[in-house]
Amino acid sequence: MENIGKVSHWVFHLGDTRLVVNSTTLVMTWVVIGLVLAFALIATRDRAMVPGPWQQLAEFLVQTFRELVSEALGEAYEERYFPLICALFIFLLFCNWVGVFPGMEEPTKDINTTLGLGIMGFFIAHGTAIKAKGLKQYLKEYFEPMFFLMPLNVVGEVAKVISISFRLFGNVLGGSIIIIVVTHLVYGLLLPPFLYGFFALFVGTVQAFVFTMLTLVYISVQIR
Amino acid sequence: MAVEIAGADIVRAAAMLGAGIAMGIGAFGPGLGEGIAAAKAGEAIGRNPREAGLLTRTMLVGQAVAESTGIYSLVVALLLIFVV
Repeated sequence: MENIGKVSHWVFHLGDTRLVVNSTTLVMTWVVIGLVLAFALIATRDRAMVPGPWQQLAEFLVQTFRELVSEALGEAYEERYFPLICALFIFLLFCNWVGVFPGMEEPTKDINTTLGLGIMGFFIAHGTAIKAKGLKQYLKEYFEPMFFLMPLNVVGEVAKVISISFRLFGNVLGGSIIIIVVTHLVYGLLLPPFLYGFFALFVGTVQAFVFTMLTLVYISVQIR
Repeated sequence: MAVEIAGADIVRAAAMLGAGIAMGIGAFGPGLGEGIAAAKAGEAIGRNPREAGLLTRTMLVGQAVAESTGIYSLVVALLLIFVV
């Protein structure tokens, strides 16, 4: 109960600069990457016309997101952005689900992970816009309805990154704190699995899907 | 013997009070928004049951987006409790 606010740090001294790293998040991110790779290997190991359970799950994910991406971005961009969107979803899904195992914490519980993914999505969306529409047209669009609305448009773009990152961060952190507090109240009797079921599995899946869908929509808005 | 209340205690108490108010008022908006989203989704599914899957998925995404302001007030409340 008392370790809610505590975050363990690794401190590296590079000459005179101090490099402070959240050790739990870093280690857990690598664990999740390992899990995702293991899932990928198991799913594609012995591909057969009659798919095994893992292959079926992987095919379902790939088909769903290929369809979503082609709907949102159109055929031209689908091939280039589908792997990103699908990998982002699977990574976030495993990130939010890993909290179920005892002793493991979700990397998305740390603002650095979600803000990093949000900023990545921001640069991808705006990089595509600049490449697709050309710098002049891209900049002109900030003055779109009326010239004096430029600050509003710029703030709107930055607000998208903040909102998408804090939504995932707040949901996962809030969920894990509620789980800790309620489990402490009932002394760990009967309730924790249901709490994990709701917060880690259901809310985690929905938030992973929402984060991925919004990243996809932000890219498609920039392209049109 | 009068109990000494230092300035830090008042700050701490105000932070706790602020966290409670932030979360209380912050819970009002998402409740309303998600209720409206669910109601509209219910009507739409009533009109077109074949599209229930797509409508449910869209409703969930819409509700998650509507929830974000509540989550921001949760983050503010957590900051007030654990950081101040």
